[in-house]
Amino acid sequence: MYQILGVIALVPCLALAADPEFNLTIRDHRFEPAELRVPAGKKIKLLIENKDDTAEEFESHALNREKVVPARARVTLFIGPLEPGRYPFAGEFHENTAQGVIIAQ
Amino acid sequence: MNRPLYAVVLALFPASALFAGPADYVFLPAVTYGEREIDFKSGTARNSGDPRMSAASIGFGYGATQRWFTEIYRKYESSGDEGMHFDAWEWENKFQLTEAGEYPVDAGFIVEIEHPKDRSEGNELHLGPLLQTELGKLQLNANILFERHYRAESPQRTELGYQWQVKYRLQPKFEYGFQGFGELGQWNRWDPPDQQTNRMGPAVFGKVGLGNRQALRYNAAWLFGVSKAAPDHTFRFQAEYEF
Repeated sequence: MYQILGVIALVPCLALAADPEFNLTIRDHRFEPAELRVPAGKKIKLLIENKDDTAEEFESHALNREKVVPARARVTLFIGPLEPGRYPFAGEFHENTAQGVIIAQ
Repeated sequence: MNRPLYAVVLALFPASALFAGPADYVFLPAVTYGEREIDFKSGTARNSGDPRMSAASIGFGYGATQRWFTEIYRKYESSGDEGMHFDAWEWENKFQLTEAGEYPVDAGFIVEIEHPKDRSEGNELHLGPLLQTELGKLQLNANILFERHYRAESPQRTELGYQWQVKYRLQPKFEYGFQGFGELGQWNRWDPPDQQTNRMGPAVFGKVGLGNRQALRYNAAWLFGVSKAAPDHTFRFQAEYEF
């Protein structure tokens, strides 16, 4: 019984360890890189670091994600698994400049 | 409400029917840090032969942390030909327990405290888990809610209710799907099916960006009673101004 519980307890850790990580940086109200290629069919862990002195909101209807990144802070998003395709995202607080796309392939 | 009138209301509506109002909405587990919103909710329900019941509320909410959203609102209600009148203050606290997409099911928790104008109703506590998952462009939500009155004049029991929602994320300004709400009776001893208030129906959703960190978000549903004690028709609507 304890062995089964132990295996169940390990499942989330294994899942986390398997998620490939990608980085996005917000600088001068722009995303870097503005185009991010990720593997299709896999859940990914997206680390977003905001190097600006103002907050930004990562928003993507295509990815169904909305997350505020405070000034000079870092947040983590989990995305996918995605079908192959383009998934645009934007910074809602500075939409004129903060634009990007995730390309799953 | 005086005691005899309260007794009449209890006789007309099963206890479970008092649990939910026509302006109720489906809670979502996600919290947006720093977001402020003015939230307007409205709804009206009618059962054949009974007076129309309507409710509305206006509130102010704030994403206090990445995991905690709090909102206070003032609720109004009316029955039949009487005008809208103040019904209660409500304080809603929502806690995001997991990061969206981190696990197969996203989880949150809701705690609501209602302080009715009519002191004979006591105070109401609503709490329960909020669950969400995604299947491609479908977003699925299911919530289980417990409710209990405290310091009420009449004997109280802990009630069990539920909410669910299926949403197809067509485009930001317009999404569509279905919603359902219901009250089952005492949490560990459900009412017979004809005394439960199960209702469901089509719903629409959307968000319109206004620029400069502002947006309008809406959702509305037309619900049909699918059990005898539920109103035949309920229309509910929610609009949020985010800034």
